[in-house]
Order: sequence, then C-alpha cells, then structure tokens
Amino acid sequence: MNPRPFTRRGLLATTAAVPVAALTACNGVQGGADAAENDFPTRAVDFTVPFDAGGSSDLLSRAACLAAEEPLGQSIALTNKPGANGAVGLKELLSGDADGYSIALAVKSLFAITPLVVDDPDAVSIDDFRIIATLTNEAYVLVVHADSPYQSLEDLVAAPSLNYGTAGVGTGGQLSLALLFGLAGTEATDVPFDGGAPAVTALLGQEIDAVSGSLAETMPQIEAGALRPLTVFSEERSPFLADVPTAAESGYEVVVDQRRFVVAPGEVSDTVAGALVLAFEQARQDPDYQAFLQDNFMDVWEVEDIEARNHLSEAAQQYAQNVADAGLTLGDGS
Amino acid sequence: MDLSPVLTGFSVAFEPENLLFCLLGVTIGMLIGVLPGLGPAATIAILLPITYNLEPAAAVIMLAGIFYGAQYGGTITSVLLKLPGEASTVVTAIDGHALAKRGEAGSALGVAALASFIGGTASILLLSFIAPALAGVALAFGPAEYTVLALIGIFLVGTLGSGSLVKSAAAAAAGLLLATVGLDPLLGTPRFTFGTDQLADGIDFVIVAMGLFGIGEILYNLEHRDRPQSAVPAFGRAIPSRAQWLRSRLAILRGSAVGFVLGILPGGGATMSSLVAYAVEKRSAKDPSRFGKGAIEGVAGPESANNAAATSSFIPLLTLGIPANATMAVLFGALMLQGITPGPALMTEHPDVFWGVVNSMYLGNLLLLALSIPLIGVFVRMLKIRPGVLAPITIVITMLGVYSIRNNAFDMLLAVALGLVGYAMRKLGFEPGPFVLAFVLGSLLEGSFRRSMRIFGGDVTEFVQRPLSATLVGVLVLTVVVIPVLRAVRARQIDRATEPAES
Amino acid sequence: MAENETEDALPEPDAPAPGGRGLAAVAGAVPVVLGAAAAWLSLRLDIGTLTDPGPGLWPLIVSALLVATGIGILVSARRAGGTEAFTRGAISVAAAAVALFAYASLFEVVGFEIPTLLLLAAWLRFLGRESWLSTALLSVGVTAAAYALFILGLGVPLPHLIVL
Repeated sequence: MNPRPFTRRGLLATTAAVPVAALTACNGVQGGADAAENDFPTRAVDFTVPFDAGGSSDLLSRAACLAAEEPLGQSIALTNKPGANGAVGLKELLSGDADGYSIALAVKSLFAITPLVVDDPDAVSIDDFRIIATLTNEAYVLVVHADSPYQSLEDLVAAPSLNYGTAGVGTGGQLSLALLFGLAGTEATDVPFDGGAPAVTALLGQEIDAVSGSLAETMPQIEAGALRPLTVFSEERSPFLADVPTAAESGYEVVVDQRRFVVAPGEVSDTVAGALVLAFEQARQDPDYQAFLQDNFMDVWEVEDIEARNHLSEAAQQYAQNVADAGLTLGDGS
Repeated sequence: MDLSPVLTGFSVAFEPENLLFCLLGVTIGMLIGVLPGLGPAATIAILLPITYNLEPAAAVIMLAGIFYGAQYGGTITSVLLKLPGEASTVVTAIDGHALAKRGEAGSALGVAALASFIGGTASILLLSFIAPALAGVALAFGPAEYTVLALIGIFLVGTLGSGSLVKSAAAAAAGLLLATVGLDPLLGTPRFTFGTDQLADGIDFVIVAMGLFGIGEILYNLEHRDRPQSAVPAFGRAIPSRAQWLRSRLAILRGSAVGFVLGILPGGGATMSSLVAYAVEKRSAKDPSRFGKGAIEGVAGPESANNAAATSSFIPLLTLGIPANATMAVLFGALMLQGITPGPALMTEHPDVFWGVVNSMYLGNLLLLALSIPLIGVFVRMLKIRPGVLAPITIVITMLGVYSIRNNAFDMLLAVALGLVGYAMRKLGFEPGPFVLAFVLGSLLEGSFRRSMRIFGGDVTEFVQRPLSATLVGVLVLTVVVIPVLRAVRARQIDRATEPAES
Repeated sequence: MAENETEDALPEPDAPAPGGRGLAAVAGAVPVVLGAAAAWLSLRLDIGTLTDPGPGLWPLIVSALLVATGIGILVSARRAGGTEAFTRGAISVAAAAVALFAYASLFEVVGFEIPTLLLLAAWLRFLGRESWLSTALLSVGVTAAAYALFILGLGVPLPHLIVL
C-alpha cells in the first residue's frame, strides 16, 4: 500500500471542498415535502449508477429498474455518476437524504478489492448502506487464445513465464490471476489495461498469454471459438460454462467473483426500505429481467440483507488474507 | 461475395419505420453536436430507454445516426464559436474558426459538410466490402504499436501551432502533465488527485476542450469587449465555390483514406486521423504558412478524416465486438439490452442488424448533407448576435453540457478553472490546440509504453523487432527527423541562392 | 529588429497591445514553476526505472519537459513578443469567473433554474450591458428554453426545482 495517498492537500483542495458542501442538500431539489412514509413512494425514485453508461453495471441497473417500476408503482429515473469504481456515486448517495427516493447500484469489488489497492481513509463502508436487493453473481473466467499451446490450467501454470492482461488495477480479474499464479509459483507479469475490452483485444491479437475477465466480456469470443476458457474462479462451476472446472477443482483455492446489488443510505426507515425490497423482489421474478441475465451471462445472487452483508465482509477479509499469504502487492505495492 | 444479405440490409434500411428512426437519429445527433459539451455518448445513454421497445435494427440505426450526426453538428460550433466538442474536431476548429473570422464561415461549413459526406460515404463503401478482412487490423495493433502511434501524434501536434514552436511545445507538455492526473494506469497510485476521488479517473477530454477553447475564448473576448469589434463581413455561401472545391478535393480524398484506416483502431484512432490529415495537408501545401490562418484544406482534410473514422470505428464493434470509444461502448450496451451480442457472430446470426445498420449510414449521410446546407445558413447568423448576448447563452449551454458528462457539478468547476487557464494562455501567447491534443494522446502514450515494457520484459529493442511497430518507428523517424532536416537544408540552399548578401 | 517592432511601433487600433518583456518573462516562468512543482510532487511518488517505470517516472519526464520549454521561452523572451498586456478589462474576466464558480457550486444545491437565471441576468446586464428589459426577457427566455431542451426534450438528468 502506498502510505500517503489521499492525505496530501494542495492547490485543488479548496476547489475540491466546494462541491462536497454543495452535494449535501442536492437530493431535496426535485420535489416538495414528502408525504407520510406509509405512502412511499409518491414520486419517482432516483437510481444512481456509479459507472459509465453501457457497462455491465449500467445494463443490469436498467434491466432491474425497468422490472421494478411496476411493483413499485412509480417510475425509476436512472442517472450515471461514474468515478473511482463507484465511490463517487455512492458517496453522493450517502450525502443525500435517506428518504428512499435515492438508491444506487453497488458492486462487491468496491468493498472487497479496492481497499487492497487504494488506501482511502474516506472510503465508503458497507456498514453505511442498507442492502435493498442482491442481484447477480458473476464469475471470472481465465481465457487463452484459441491458438495458444495451453490446453489446461496445468499447462498454463507450468509455463516458464507469462504475461496476463486484466481490466485494470483493483479488478477481480487482476486479483484472481495474481492469486492463482502466486499459489502456483508461476513467473507471471500483470499487464493492466484500461477496461475489459482492450484486454480482450490484446489477447485476440496474442499480445498477451491470458486474461481473466467477466463472462460478459469473454463469452462472445469463447462462443465464436476465438478464445479458450481454462478455468473459472467462482465457488461452483458457472451454468454458462458447465464444462469448465473451477480453480478449486484443480487444486488452487482461488475464489473471486463480482456481485452487484442495490443499496440505500443506512438510515433509511424500515417502512420505506420494505417497500423497495418488495419491489425488487418482484422485479427479480420478471421474465424480461431473467432473460436479460441469461443473455448477459449473469448468475443470480438473491439473498437477505444480513447474509449479503456477511458475504461482503468475509470476502474482504478473505481477499486481504489471501493477498497477505501469497505475499502479493496489488497496486503500487509501496 | 454473396450479396443477398447486403440487399436484405438495404430493404431493412429502407423500411419506412427505419427511415424515420434514421432521420430522427441524425437530427438529434446534429442538434446535440451543435450544443457544446453534450456528447453522443451521454445522449445515447439518455435515449437508451426509448429503444427498449424498438426492433433491434431500428434502435441501432437511430443510435448510430446520433453518433455520426453529432460529428456533422460538432463542426458547426467548432468553426463558428471555436468550441470543439470532440477530440477529432479540435483540429478543424483551428482553420475553421480563422475562416469564420474572415467572413467565410458559410463556405467553410459548406466544405466541411461536403468533406464529411464524402469521407463518411467512402468509409461505408469500404466497410461494406472489406470490413471482415479489416477486423484483423485492429488486432495487429498491440501496446507497442499504440506507443509509437501516440508518439507520432504528439510530434504532429507541433505542426498545429502557427506561433512560436517552443511555446507550442510548452503547451503540449502541460497537456501531457494534465493527462497524468488520476490513478496510475498500471499501479493505481493516485497522482495529482489532491485527495479527492472526483479526480481519481482523471479529467474528461470534453471538460478540457470546453474549458481551454470555449470558456477561455469567451473570457478573452470579455476582457476586450470595448475594443471596436471588427465587423464580421458577409458570411459567404454555404455552397463552396469552384475554387474552394478544387483546393479541397484532394484533401478530402486523402483525409478519407487516412480516416478510414486509423478509425479502425480502437482507442485514439479518430483523434489521430484528424491530426494526421491536418499534418499531411500542411506539409504537402505549397505555402504551409496559410495554415492556422484560414486554409480551407485544413478544414476539408480533417473533416473528411474524422467522419471516415467515425464510420470505420464501427468495424471493431460489429465484427469483433470491441467498442472503439465511449460512444461505441454505449452502443454495445444498447445491442446487449436488445439481446444481441455484438461479436464475431453478429454478421452471420443477425445479418439484418449488421447490414441494416451499415446500409442506413448511406442514407444517414445523405440526410445529414441535406440538413446541413439550410442549417448552416441558420447557424451562421449566430455570428450576428451581439457578443454580450451570445457569450452568456453559449456559456450556460456549455456548463449544462459539461454537467451531463458525469452528472457532476465538480466537472463544471474544473471547466471554469480550465477556462481561466485558457484565458491566461491566450494572453501569454500559448495556443490551446497542442495542449488539448497532447492531453488526449498523453494517456495513450504512457499507458501503452508501460504495457509494452511489461510485455517485453523491459527490453526496449522489441519496438524495432516487431514488423508493424518497426515500420511505425520508421515513419516516426522520417516525419520527425529526416523530413525537417531535408527541409531545413533545402530552405538554406534557397536562401543562399536568392539573397546571398542579407541575413 | 524585432524589438523595434514590439516596443516602438504603435499598435494598430484593433490589435491587442503587446505585453512587453515582463509578460514574455512570465510566459516562460509559469511553465518553469509549474513544471518544478509537478516534478517535486512526482519525486514523492515511486520513480522506478525506465524498463520498470513507477507511477512517478512519466510525470517527472513531462515536468522536466515543461521546465525545459519554459527555460527556452525565457531565453527567447528578450525578442519574442507574442504576449498581450492585461488591461482593465481583466476585472470583467475575474468577475465572470467568480460568477461561474458560484453557478457551479449552487447548481446541485438549488437546481439549475435559479442559478441559470441569475448568471444570465448578471452577465447580460453588467458584462453585456444590455438594457434591463432585454436582460429580463432574455434571461427568462433562455432559462425556459434550456429547461425545455435539456430536461423536457433530451431528458438530461439536471437537478431542477420545477417538475412539469
């Protein structure tokens, strides 16, 4: 870890402080005084997607919100507010009113992996949120080029030296391969790209030897026969790649996945949260939503708040432990 | 080749409903292109919900129309107000705005529209016939090739300036420095973020361009508002004159070719294409000193290039499933929401979508050309509005556009701060063009170089061992060292021959 | 010979006044100072080596480039013009910048309508010197048009007070 980041103050600190103050009151802007909580919701609910439009989180949010509108009885307005693996959008959610009219998507990696890479004293914690609905569990899959000599995970880890691509620093793909090669003692160099698509492109061009990416990023190429899956890093085999063994089956206890869920600020009242929970529970049964998950190779993760909370904190501890055991450094490692 | 899917594509494109969505898309695209700051990626994201209930082909025809329509529209504000909304129109703004100041806004925009049309159409033709063969080009470019390409680009940025070379270099260096703000691309270490995660992902290009060009220009004019305004002469016709056509036709051809090829490269291709097209025109001109002061080729070349590139940037998306830029990423999402996965199988599994979209672009470009000519007449009149009225309106629209990039008010503060930087640069004799383009190429250069080093295990000589990167290194040496040296030698010989006594 | 042009020749009526040597020196000093500051910050990051660069290496190279070009400008500052003197109009620029910062800060707090109206009115009246009547008409009209275009037409999620 870098001991100093996010503590330095400089030229921009003053400018940076202004919007933080400005954000605190912003959620009250759109409507008048709210009616009694029992009537919730009486107006449109704002849903923040803390990622860019077009990505997996964005698409999933759109599908889930579309399905949740009818049971909720109000429309859900989606806004993309990307930055810092979701931290920008979620911090803004927390600075707003906890009235249930502002909710957001959140991802596991922000709570479980990002802290291993970026040492941010102001980082958001899962304890700041109430989990409204857990949505998906997405496996990471290790792929090589179809022309690659490596036919199996054993072949790959036995290679004298490797370059592997990832979607970037602090992604599950990076963590999974760093842990795998750490355990196997393979001499492997991490090449982080600016997102999953460039990493897959580089693998298709055989610039690198392997990539660990989400199914959404890799499945089209796997189905087209351009890439070969060697292993998945999920607890169990992925329903979309039933023939591909998990890393654990091959003797490497590496379990890394991405999970996405809907959150509200922690102080939201039980009545309001209940209405939201109910709406998303019904949304998860919506056939269009389920078809979307199928089309996008997303497995379901549908559990209660407390179980989800436990999973997230356990995963955070587990990853930290794994990384420490393997003597790895994600990020700059200083 | 089997032409039946292509013909099916035409019938898809010409279905009345799809015609309507094509028209709708290009019109919206043109409109948001004209509104500074509001980009096609944000607009497509906003309009995604509308497409949920459309047929896949209709949805993508409309969204694609927004994308290339925005290229046409963006030129208008670049030329009239010096407000480039895309990295690829920064170059157009330089000579285009100079022409507008000279009272040739109409014909500059006319040439730009024509160049865009020809560039776009040529690119679709090529796309239709050789897209599958070209998919490999995108894969042949690895980090090493991007490194050299970005380096060539940064040196070409030097050809943009019309003033002091050392000041252009300083502006470019400042742009490179600004590009390092954010988390380190390989290690995640925060750099110059001053503790805020608002800066963790770096600064969006549009904010930099809007600040330095748009807001900076407005602030500059504000200081000098008491200076007698040189009356803007007649705006000229939107239809280019014969002389202008003769002057720009080769530039358009060269620009189309450059744009098509570079547009295929995901990441930085479109920006590079306009830059390369400009450099080619400037270097092949008999009198390069005209550039920067209103050379019509400086508009025609880059405009045909960026539209050709906009079209060919569909190739990696449609044939490989690789989104080449932010807008393509949203289009990718739109297809996924329709249950269609863009990728190697798209052309065989959904030929109606593939060919429907491709063929709708012929029509879209024609519609855009037809829309452009009357619209140019309307927009050129903007220059008649008193600056005291035009400036606040422009700035409000710019600020709203900047907000819409990330729905973040912090970005507006950044844009104003960069506007002050742009103003100060103008006063001190620095040009914003090199700054902005170096900013775009800077992160490409650093990221690619460091990825290459990782892949090569630290062996720099691999850059000249790979055939493609070695070729590019050759091009780099040729353009940066050999040609300037030859030129200098020749210039000296001519100097000696013509004025032997004077210094 | 260049000095004669910049120092003695009367500027054309429309042309901006040249900045003289002082400002030319500033034009060189700014990149030097900026580059030096950035280099100092870069050095606090890990530099690494050329073959295995740390996060600080590239910023350091770029900062050095900035310092070098700044020195180049300083060296040529004796003869190079190219700058423009700041005039009293610069006060308007400062005022406009303050107004814009205020605009951006208020934007998410009270919605976009009021700040937009105020910004337009202030700019039109005091910077643009429009009459009160046209100020009022234009600022209301443009705010309404922006609302119609961005919120109703394009559906851009701007924070807003008025719900239609």
